[in-house]
Amino acid sequence: MAAKVSQSEILGWVVEVFQKEFDFGGDELQLDTHLIDDLDLDSIDAIDMAVRLEERTSVTFSDEDLKNLRTIRDVVDLIDGRL
Amino acid sequence: MIARASRVASTGISFAVFGIAGLILSLLVLPFVRSWPGTAREREFRCQHVVRHTFRHFIRMMVALRVLDVEVRAEEQLRQPGQLVVANHPTLLDVVFLVSLMPQADCVVKREAFSNPFMRGIVRSTGYLPNDLGGALISAGAQRLRAGRSLLIFPEGTRSSLSALGPFRRGAAHMALESGRPLRPVVIRCEPPSLMRGQKWYDVPERRMHFSIECCEEIDPGDVVGATENRGAAARKLSAALRDFYEKKLQTPGH
Repeated sequence: MAAKVSQSEILGWVVEVFQKEFDFGGDELQLDTHLIDDLDLDSIDAIDMAVRLEERTSVTFSDEDLKNLRTIRDVVDLIDGRL
Repeated sequence: MIARASRVASTGISFAVFGIAGLILSLLVLPFVRSWPGTAREREFRCQHVVRHTFRHFIRMMVALRVLDVEVRAEEQLRQPGQLVVANHPTLLDVVFLVSLMPQADCVVKREAFSNPFMRGIVRSTGYLPNDLGGALISAGAQRLRAGRSLLIFPEGTRSSLSALGPFRRGAAHMALESGRPLRPVVIRCEPPSLMRGQKWYDVPERRMHFSIECCEEIDPGDVVGATENRGAAARKLSAALRDFYEKKLQTPGH
């Protein structure tokens, strides 16, 4: 049985995707960072984020999932709940 | 005082004419023009031609009524086909000016225009694109650019407020990157500031509006963005560079 992945490990993946895909610094990427207000994520960015995270985690994001994500914590929780 | 009252009346007449013309175009003229035989592209171009000439006459009327005057610099640059034209959006009339200057333009417009009775016939028959399609808008825009069609986008997505240039959405930057086409910036200035977001049409200024429309040199995405950058980072960088360009331009007055 595969070991449960920790939330901090998932956060690391998410941070890595944001750093690589959008050139954010690590300090900007905290659990409570707001995707739109703080990171100015638009619908195209959200798709790019989802594609990269799907490649990294095999968790798929529906359009509805993307609409409901508000913070990095939401992204981490969604992945955590589906792994 | 009398001159100002006269301009309030002239402005009212102008917008009434615009609304009536929009209805006539939407309900009668464009459905008829669109019904003539031809490919979808030919039909859209015919309708765009009608809209362009209607807008030209509308501007001539506003100039004749002394509501505004307009000066266009490097207008010939807007006549080239297959261009990605971007502009700041200070007033209600920006799209009217630019459409009247471009021989062919696919505009990216707000979704509300597709349900506005004065506008819906125009935006549907001309093949204009709604701005809420996300990734599909980028693909459609890039495809049209590659097919030699010109696109007109206001990166602010809505009119500027009185205080400042608004934040830029990144759709135009994405389209430039996906299509490999440069951005053609157009700088629109209106003195005194009028018809901006938050201003009513009847808040006419003390003197006649003077519009200055300046067509600038193209911005090549390759000069701004590195070859290996990811799409998201590249679009952010290009969009920031474009906004920076406008910030600097708007600090200098038009002539």
